[in-house]
Amino acid sequence: MYQIIESNQDTKGKIKLIGIGAGNSPFEVNYFQETYQIPFPLFDDKNYDIHEMLGMVRTPYFFVVKINKDGTHKLTYTQLGGFKTAEDFLDLILKESGLR
Amino acid sequence: MKRILFANVLIVALSVFFVAGSVFGLSEVYKNNIYDPGMLKPTDSVLKVKVGDQSPDFSLPAVQGGNVTLSQFRGKKNVVLSFIPAAWTPVCSDQWPGYNIAKPIFDKYDAILLGISADNIPTLFAWTNQMGELWFPVLSDFWPHGALASKLGILRSNGTTERATFIIDKQGIIRYIDVHDINERPPLEDIVKELEKLK
Repeated sequence: MYQIIESNQDTKGKIKLIGIGAGNSPFEVNYFQETYQIPFPLFDDKNYDIHEMLGMVRTPYFFVVKINKDGTHKLTYTQLGGFKTAEDFLDLILKESGLR
Repeated sequence: MKRILFANVLIVALSVFFVAGSVFGLSEVYKNNIYDPGMLKPTDSVLKVKVGDQSPDFSLPAVQGGNVTLSQFRGKKNVVLSFIPAAWTPVCSDQWPGYNIAKPIFDKYDAILLGISADNIPTLFAWTNQMGELWFPVLSDFWPHGALASKLGILRSNGTTERATFIIDKQGIIRYIDVHDINERPPLEDIVKELEKLK
């Protein structure tokens, strides 16, 4: 999905991805990032601090946050579980966030 | 962070890249099939071996078929024994999938991983099938019940094993023992650090 976002002028720079490793140490996150060559930022959350703030959901879990021009932000979509294709998921995100 | 603030939409992917330490972050793969025993007594046994001892040899049936014997690795591989207390419970269900993506680390240190629990083979088969294909053998210490765990001193009073890691070198000497708090998952770097010492 990252590649699709970055290669399309309509989405490049407008959509950013970050990942959070629930319960993962910095070593584990680094290993994961290097092994799978993840091109976007990943954050460790060894003590589940972020995870607790997000409601202790099961994983994988996706949050889509729209950032408004005035700096405020709004949660526009959430999803538990993976997705079938990156294209379909991105399409859904664009619709839910009002970018399309 | 500046670039992110300029974006219109931020997608936050929350995942367990490695393994979770409790029911938190439990993979959706298991749906509602994970039994949560709640917080348990951190450890409930007394070790019968120590670092520097020759490890007792054992031969246990593997989910993948046949038996795996410790001495078959003598002179060939360092051996990491990963005991998990029980199939279908929270921490255990994320611990081995984490090791499953760390095969290059074990290869780097010329080590084989053996996953062991006191569950029977059919239970381990059904449970580990949810994890995808595991590269390491999963062994059952079910019968005589927990015989190996008992010999090592990590059989708990309820018949499950401790969440314990043993590292045995190519000469069969125990080089590391971690009887971990059963409620928490040992971080991967603990194993890596100890394997590094065997080089």
